[in-house]
Amino acid sequence: MDTFLQQLANGLTIGSMFALVALGYTMVYGVMKLINFAHGDMVAASAFVGLMVYTQILGQTASLVGVVAIFFITAAIMACIGVTLERVAYRPLRTAPRLSAVVSALGASLVIQNGIMLIWGPRMRIFPELVPQVYWHVGGVIISMMQVIILVLSLILMVALYLFIEKTRMGAAIRASSLDQDAARLMGINVDSVISLIFIIGSSLGAVGGLFIALYYRGITFDMGWQYGLYAFIAAIIGGIGNIPGAMLGGMLLGLFSAFISGYVSSTWADAFTFMLLIGILIVRPTGLLGERVAEKV
Amino acid sequence: MAHNELILTDVTKRFGGLTAVDSLSMKVETGQIYGVIGPNGAGKTTIFNCITGIYRSEEGSVNWNGEEIRGMTPYQIVDRGIVRTFQTIRLFSQMSVAENVVSGRHIKSSQRWWHGICPTVGSRRDEYDNWMKVKELLEFFNLDEFAATPVSSLPYGHQRRVEMARAMAVDPTLLILDEPAAGLNDKETAELVETIFSIRDKGVTVLLIEHDMELVMKVTDYLTVLNFGKKIAEGTPDEIQKNPLVIEAYLGSEDDDE
Amino acid sequence: MKKLSVAGISIFLMVMAVLPHFLDSRWQAVAITFVIFSVVALSQDIILGKAGMFNMGQAMFFGMGAYATAILNSHYNWPLLATIPVAILVPVCVGILLAAPIVHLRGDYLLVVTIGFNIVFIQVLVNNLGGVTGGPNGIFGLEYLSIFGHELRSQVAVYYLAFAVLLLTLAIMLNLEKSKVGRALHYLREDPLAAESIGINTKLYKIFAFALGAGIAGLAGMVYATQYSAVSPEGFEFIQSVLFFSIVLVGGSSIPGVLLGVFVMFVLPEIFREFSTWRFFVFGFAMILTMILRPRGIWPATFGKIPKYMIKEKSHGA
Repeated sequence: MDTFLQQLANGLTIGSMFALVALGYTMVYGVMKLINFAHGDMVAASAFVGLMVYTQILGQTASLVGVVAIFFITAAIMACIGVTLERVAYRPLRTAPRLSAVVSALGASLVIQNGIMLIWGPRMRIFPELVPQVYWHVGGVIISMMQVIILVLSLILMVALYLFIEKTRMGAAIRASSLDQDAARLMGINVDSVISLIFIIGSSLGAVGGLFIALYYRGITFDMGWQYGLYAFIAAIIGGIGNIPGAMLGGMLLGLFSAFISGYVSSTWADAFTFMLLIGILIVRPTGLLGERVAEKV
Repeated sequence: MAHNELILTDVTKRFGGLTAVDSLSMKVETGQIYGVIGPNGAGKTTIFNCITGIYRSEEGSVNWNGEEIRGMTPYQIVDRGIVRTFQTIRLFSQMSVAENVVSGRHIKSSQRWWHGICPTVGSRRDEYDNWMKVKELLEFFNLDEFAATPVSSLPYGHQRRVEMARAMAVDPTLLILDEPAAGLNDKETAELVETIFSIRDKGVTVLLIEHDMELVMKVTDYLTVLNFGKKIAEGTPDEIQKNPLVIEAYLGSEDDDE
Repeated sequence: MKKLSVAGISIFLMVMAVLPHFLDSRWQAVAITFVIFSVVALSQDIILGKAGMFNMGQAMFFGMGAYATAILNSHYNWPLLATIPVAILVPVCVGILLAAPIVHLRGDYLLVVTIGFNIVFIQVLVNNLGGVTGGPNGIFGLEYLSIFGHELRSQVAVYYLAFAVLLLTLAIMLNLEKSKVGRALHYLREDPLAAESIGINTKLYKIFAFALGAGIAGLAGMVYATQYSAVSPEGFEFIQSVLFFSIVLVGGSSIPGVLLGVFVMFVLPEIFREFSTWRFFVFGFAMILTMILRPRGIWPATFGKIPKYMIKEKSHGA
């Protein structure tokens, strides 16, 4: 029972990080029908940018205000990079065959990943301990302050995003563009700015996710984007890609699943089990858990 | 000639709560040119999709030539001699006209999968025969000068002819045409009428959906009229034109459209 | 145009046929790598370029062939050449079994599932399932090639084995273009529903494309294991699949385009070794730039392959 609760806590923590990253994939896919392969590397980059902000700007000291500043500055920088990425690598390919944009996304992924390596080197860097190591024992389960912060902040961000998408005019524009770009354009929605907006939101959420990953696991490497990106992307697909609550659900489910697999079965097989879960879900429900079934009009 | 009858009995197709086709029965006899008409959304294309295996009707029977074909896949149905065209032309748009038409020879070709890896004398000959058949069809449809032209660069009317040529390449016994005159000008429509007659003269039964009432009345031998998925009338074109139900449901609304 | 491409192909093949005699051993190794990876990229082209299925797990089939050879040679003492049928059949069978339930998935989903297969495959190798894969270090110390008891220790022998495999692959690909099977793959790539409605069993041909691509990649894997006398999981990682995927699309899924892509991706870095850390950074930019300037690839595959006797003399078609 203790193992169960412990893995539940771990799973929720990991899951909320996956969910934050998955949102970036799912929002871009929703509007552009493109797997943004570079998103995972953007997440990795945000960990390094956060480290740079800490060492260069804050001079290696961080108060509460400093930590908050790291998050805001990093998110702002990543949002700028995200918008630039879209302008440079994706916008010229809007009307090109779908696979061309996929290749461009893979290229962008290589550029960002290797850009990190060229700037910060190929070796693992250790992220500073910005959150005090406080642990609470709750009925045999150890919960760290870091876990609580990650979970609470992620939930707040996700609820805020959900409200933004559902309740505001800009959110309605995003939803309309996801359903039908051309119709949205005809209704006077500026799809270009919607796309810029989703890259801003997606990259900032990814930056927060990346900083959480850095704070939680501490060791950061230039190529970690593939790993976390792939997991987050699977989360988005499990939830039904293009569907925002689906990405949150998928992230949480995947976090719990991998925590329980590591806890009960074996951590060396975790990737294999995760993919088997994904393949199983896709065979049963080809559009994910919350995805809509699309019938082709003949 | 053997009986090549298509008999639909109580075919029902639902999409969620909507009944697109409601217990429809009809019988297409050998050598007929059979028309299905009805207002937009009456379920005409849905019937064609049920016959050709793209959809599977929930209830009823689709009997072809004494065999139940409901539940078969599209390619199995093509194998039994039923081929269709699409309302929105579906050609292989990056490929040439001749390549599009030769796709219809796929099922008649004697080549097996290993011939794609290792050719034989037989497969080479079969390949030649297929192309010769295509050549014949391109001449029949007056498309021979476009053999190497990518279909997407052809005008709409020509694309319709390519699609029919492709269907005819299968050597069908029943040809299903989904709005063959849509998007054609008067001259092309007149040519289409001739083409449909000459296809019938080759011994092919023709089943078609069409909005152009003039064309329907001119070419068809027998008609079924649908409204809201239900058959409201059937008969020869003369009978249909006099049927008050049809005039109310369909011909009446025709004035609003044009 | 036709004459030009015939001339181009003959010159290329002639150069390739005598190439190893002009190279030192390091460049011979590079040449072998070029030939092997060309075969894998062409096999990927059958699945991705011809049949249009988003397969991002081609390195898995490549690795299966390599591991089949390595396991049979090191654990069961099969001569290397005798492992060829197994190195082909194992990926073919696995390809059929894996493809059957997933080929109906829409493009991007298929892509993710094939990535998944590749990652599961690597975990199987690393975790040494069944105790035969050698774990993270792989298997090393394979024998030399031998024919009728004669050991062929020189790299040149490996080169000609690889070259023979390349010739075979090219022959298959050219023949596919002139058969109904090859055309069926094109049709289902263009419009699966129209293909099905004209009588093509699309599912069967999708699985066929996977099986054929897997078999050729497996054969390339056998040569790869022979070249290095060793196999290890890194050679078949998912990043390799990404490279093969990109090569086909950047090249334009034509034979010259794919060969050019392999040359740029695997031979150029050998020439500019001092810039090796910049390799992927530069490739990434090159991929983006190519797609923006030429969305269909550097050397796009041309359709309209119809026999000459079909073309009327007067008109010049497309």
